[in-house]
Amino acid sequence: MRLHRIRLRDFRGVHDREVSLAEHGVTVLQGDNEVGKTSTLVALDLLFDAADSSRRAEIRAAQPAGVDAGPEVEAEVSTGPYRFVYRKRWLRRPRTELHVTAPAPEQLTGADAHARVAAILDETMDRALWRGLRVEQNSVVGQADLGGQDALTRALDRAASGPGASRADPSADDGLIERAAEELRRYRTPSGRATGELRAAEVRLADAEAEEVRCRAALEAVERDVAARDRLDADAAALKARKHAHTAEVTGLEDTWAALQSRLREVDAARQHAVLARERADAARERRETRDSLVAALEDDADTAARAAEAVAAHEAEHAGARDERDARRAADTAARARAGEARRAADAAERAVSAARDRAELADLSERLRRVDEAAAGLAAAERALAASTVDADDLDELEDLARDVVRAEAARDAAAARVELAVPADAGELTVVVDGETVVLAPGGSHTLPVAGSRALSLPGVLDVRVTPGLDDAGRDDAVRERSRALAEACEDLGVADLEAARAARRDAEDAARRADEHRAALARELAGHGDAPALRAARDAARTRLPDDGTSATSVDVTPVDVTSVDVTSVDVTSADVTELRAAADTARADAEDAAHRADEADAACRSAEDTVREADTRAAVLAERAAEARHAHTRRLEELDAARAAEPDATLAEAESTRLARARDAEREHEAMAAALADDDPDTVEARVLNARAVAERLAGEGARLEREHAETTGRLQAAGLAGWHDQLAAAELELDAAVREHAAVARRAAAARRLHETLTRHRERVRRSYVAPFRAQVERLARIVFGPSLALEIDEDLRITHRTLDGTTVPFGALSSGAQEQLGLCARLACAALVDPSEGVPVVIDDALGHSDPDRLSRLGAVFTAATSAHGAAQVVVLTCTPERYHGIGAATVVPLAPSRRPGERAASERSGPEVVRVAEDTPAATPGTVLDLPRAPRAG
Amino acid sequence: MRFVHTADWQLGMTRRILGARPPKEAGGLTGEAQARFAEARLDAVRALGQIADAQGAAFVLVCGDVFESNLVGPDVVARACEALGSFRTPVLLLPGNHDPADAACVLRRPDFVRRCPAHVRVLDTPGVHEIAPGVEVVAAPWRSKHPLTDLVGEQLAALEPAPAGTLRVLAGHGELDVLDPDDDEPARIRRDGVLAALADGRVHYAALGDRHSVWTDAVDDRIRHAGTPEVTDFDEVDPGHVLVVDLDERAARVTTETVGRWRFVRHDAALDTDADLDALDARLAALPDKERTAVRLALVGTLSLRQRSRLDDLLAGHGLAFAAVEVVEQHSDLATVPDDADLHELDLHGFAADAASELFAAAAPAEGTGDAESRDALRLLHRLVGSPR
Repeated sequence: MRLHRIRLRDFRGVHDREVSLAEHGVTVLQGDNEVGKTSTLVALDLLFDAADSSRRAEIRAAQPAGVDAGPEVEAEVSTGPYRFVYRKRWLRRPRTELHVTAPAPEQLTGADAHARVAAILDETMDRALWRGLRVEQNSVVGQADLGGQDALTRALDRAASGPGASRADPSADDGLIERAAEELRRYRTPSGRATGELRAAEVRLADAEAEEVRCRAALEAVERDVAARDRLDADAAALKARKHAHTAEVTGLEDTWAALQSRLREVDAARQHAVLARERADAARERRETRDSLVAALEDDADTAARAAEAVAAHEAEHAGARDERDARRAADTAARARAGEARRAADAAERAVSAARDRAELADLSERLRRVDEAAAGLAAAERALAASTVDADDLDELEDLARDVVRAEAARDAAAARVELAVPADAGELTVVVDGETVVLAPGGSHTLPVAGSRALSLPGVLDVRVTPGLDDAGRDDAVRERSRALAEACEDLGVADLEAARAARRDAEDAARRADEHRAALARELAGHGDAPALRAARDAARTRLPDDGTSATSVDVTPVDVTSVDVTSVDVTSADVTELRAAADTARADAEDAAHRADEADAACRSAEDTVREADTRAAVLAERAAEARHAHTRRLEELDAARAAEPDATLAEAESTRLARARDAEREHEAMAAALADDDPDTVEARVLNARAVAERLAGEGARLEREHAETTGRLQAAGLAGWHDQLAAAELELDAAVREHAAVARRAAAARRLHETLTRHRERVRRSYVAPFRAQVERLARIVFGPSLALEIDEDLRITHRTLDGTTVPFGALSSGAQEQLGLCARLACAALVDPSEGVPVVIDDALGHSDPDRLSRLGAVFTAATSAHGAAQVVVLTCTPERYHGIGAATVVPLAPSRRPGERAASERSGPEVVRVAEDTPAATPGTVLDLPRAPRAG
Repeated sequence: MRFVHTADWQLGMTRRILGARPPKEAGGLTGEAQARFAEARLDAVRALGQIADAQGAAFVLVCGDVFESNLVGPDVVARACEALGSFRTPVLLLPGNHDPADAACVLRRPDFVRRCPAHVRVLDTPGVHEIAPGVEVVAAPWRSKHPLTDLVGEQLAALEPAPAGTLRVLAGHGELDVLDPDDDEPARIRRDGVLAALADGRVHYAALGDRHSVWTDAVDDRIRHAGTPEVTDFDEVDPGHVLVVDLDERAARVTTETVGRWRFVRHDAALDTDADLDALDARLAALPDKERTAVRLALVGTLSLRQRSRLDDLLAGHGLAFAAVEVVEQHSDLATVPDDADLHELDLHGFAADAASELFAAAAPAEGTGDAESRDALRLLHRLVGSPR
């Protein structure tokens, strides 16, 4: 088939466009997205496949939006001997028109036209190949399913058979194998398991066999029961006969056995008689032996009594010794206890002496300290009184001193300013007494005495002369200041209650002394009162100590009994020293140790005494026991003696011996008689007779049991037979056999058909594989020729019977097809399609349509692929190849390509902005020489038909 | 004295050729043809009863095999009793080898005893039975399936000659030694003994059963097999009758009445040409009462694939009309040999032609019998090519 031109009107986004295609070689339709490239392909499919009445989803999708017009497609096609123009419109005023121009003109419309085109295409073209050689947009260029394509198969057949051997063969189709496979699938799953009819037949056969076996078994069981019933009847008769015979035998044996049994009883009586006699003999012997033992026991008792009396006597001495010992111990114990008491009292006295001494020492100490306290308190009181009496404190004194200094200064100032009176005594004169202002001044010879004249002063040599010195006025003033000052001083002194400064000073000194003394006394008080708080507490302590002390007189007498070393200390002495106490303490310790020692000895003595008493008590007890034993022994002896006497009185010893011998003789007789009778009986073999009787009885029992069993089985069998009769086993078995027979036949027939189907399918498949294998070589040669352009001369391919490339070998490296890169797969897939297109007979060939593929190939490979396109389409009558692309550079490498650019074809209203008007026609065809291929021609738009 | 002599009713019998119950069909144990066949056997009983009534027979004597088995179902028993009750003439039933008087004997079964009409009498004890004044039947019933003696001979040996004025009929079941000289079978009836008993007047007629074909002794025509009243197998000679016997002390006048309506037809045919097929077709088409006829074919010959297909179609077509059509394999020798015409008719090319050629080669009878599987495969190929794509 070759496409000459395609016209789309109101198809999807295309308003009206006609595209003409190069009849041979490659046509590249290039245009932007949505320009309607893929629509062209879809339109072709719809044109050939969909009737004008169809409202398939693809057709509805093809209707342009918002336009009241049905999509319309027109194509001019040549295929085989035919050339025709075919037009279809859907949805709105649907219409189909066919104009066949060759080989004979023909005009058809409607369904006739559709049917005619379908017939022409079926006759002349391989529609499966048409789809197989197409590469859809956006799909990876994989392997086309080329195996089983009729046209290719025929081409390969020609190639395989060589030229001239071509078989015109319209029917060697895949449908046959498919039908054979379908036939096989009726019987077996692809994995070979039985299914469908065959499975049903197998199931039916198995069921029928099982049912037949079941019914046959049941029937045979009934037949066995029938036979069993016969046998049971026979057995019952035989049993009856045996029972009869056996009854006679049993009767005879029972009689014999009864006779033997009476003899057995006699023997048994004799045996019992012998046993009785023997028992009596034994009794006589035992009585005699009892008497003997009684006599012996009497002697034993006498011995025992004698030994007990001896033991009592022997114990008496031991007993007396123990008592003596005990008395001695008691005396010792009493003495030890007295001694211990004395020692304890001495120790107590010593303790008391020590305590009294210590108390006295303490009393003395306390009294001394109390005395000192009293002294200190008195001193302190005196000092405090003095202190209180003192009126001059330190500040007063300082003031007085200041006043005194003022006086001095005033005097000095007066004196300095005043006239002095110097009294000098000539060295040769004697001592001279002068009274100055009432004071006597003695002047040694050569000595002098200066007197300042601050006031009026009076000098007098008693008896000799009175001199009055009176200062001038100035001097008097000065002297007044002095006097004033002195008067102030005197007033101050008077205020203080002292005569003058010296007195004040003395008073001050006294006060300080008193304070010092008071401090001393206070310290002494504190020292003496340490540990007691205050004087009353101390006094109380002393009184307590004094009361603790015993009255001196009694104390002295009570110590008389104390040991010598203690009495040497005068405990009454008030002047007890610590050494004395220590001495007393040592004496007390010694006395205490002595007392403890004595007590210990007393305890020991007590223990010894108690032990001795225990011993005595034991001896008492033992004496009692021994006495009791002796009494018992005596008593026993007495009783035994009485017993023996009584026994002898009843039966003298001689009588006993005689009875013993008599009875022994009788017993022996009886035993002999029994043995004789038993031996006689044993000769008649009663055991055997008994065994036979028992056996005969058992046999009778067994026969009875067997009879019961036979009856039971008879009843059971009869019951089963009655039930079986109603079950109709014959009918069931007959039906089962019929079913089995039918199932066997059906299964055989189905199995035979299944085997035939398998055989046919297997044979057909095998032959097709063989043929396909022969197809592989020419196909591979063609693919390799093209693929080497892309991959280089070292390329080799492996291709299976389904004409799929399985492996690629390049430079000696073999890789499975599926492991190749997407690009390499794409390139090989393209080569395979182009090879196919190149192989197929031009009259049967179909266009190879590639919708924007080769997205995975690099520029170098793309340019090489261009060469592949050229090589595949260069031969005369080579296949038509249509490439749709929006990336034309991918296909620039195709030398012989006819390029057709496509522009959007919009409705007139939509392209108001465009200057162009009228329908857009793209025409590339040799019948329009005015236009070179690949140019777009605007043709006047034909008026719409219809 | 007139009585009806019959035997081998074989009630409850099924025949394999009549097919199995269709799978999954609910209800009875048998298919449609089987059911009609069973009904026919009961019809035969009713028919012979009517004959007996109409002709004033003293009794109907059934010489064994009343039932196909002692273990027939209660439905078979019930229907048999109904058929027996459809006429008035007394009936004497003798246990035969199919229904021996053993522990499971159907003629003693409670369901039979309860339903059995009053005029029916079971001869399950051997010896002389007085049926009517002056009429005695000497019964030799089977007591088990495998008797070890000639039961009839035993009974005859114990007999005195019949009293004057008394007619005695021997009722036996089994093959006469002259008909089936099998020395190993101890139960064969000694013909000499029967002849002697007839000759010295111990019995006056020997009514026998077991043989489904009618048979009369050549020496003494009072020794007879009545045959089955309704056909049971293909090898039976003239079945479907009962004997109406007019007996006196010297002779028996026997008329044969037909009661059976079914036919079991065996046909042998040689098939080599289309003409042979035509003949077979015509032959089958000509058979009357096809719904009550079972056909067994033994076919010999060699057919091509096409002819074989035609034969299959032909037999399938007739099978719809007949009660049964069967090609019995063990007596047939029908080869299907594909010929060149078959091959050309296939009109195959390419590998399919190669495959067909291989199958033809395998199917050709050159080496022995050829390969049946490959012939089947070829026939399938034939069908597949013929079917539309």
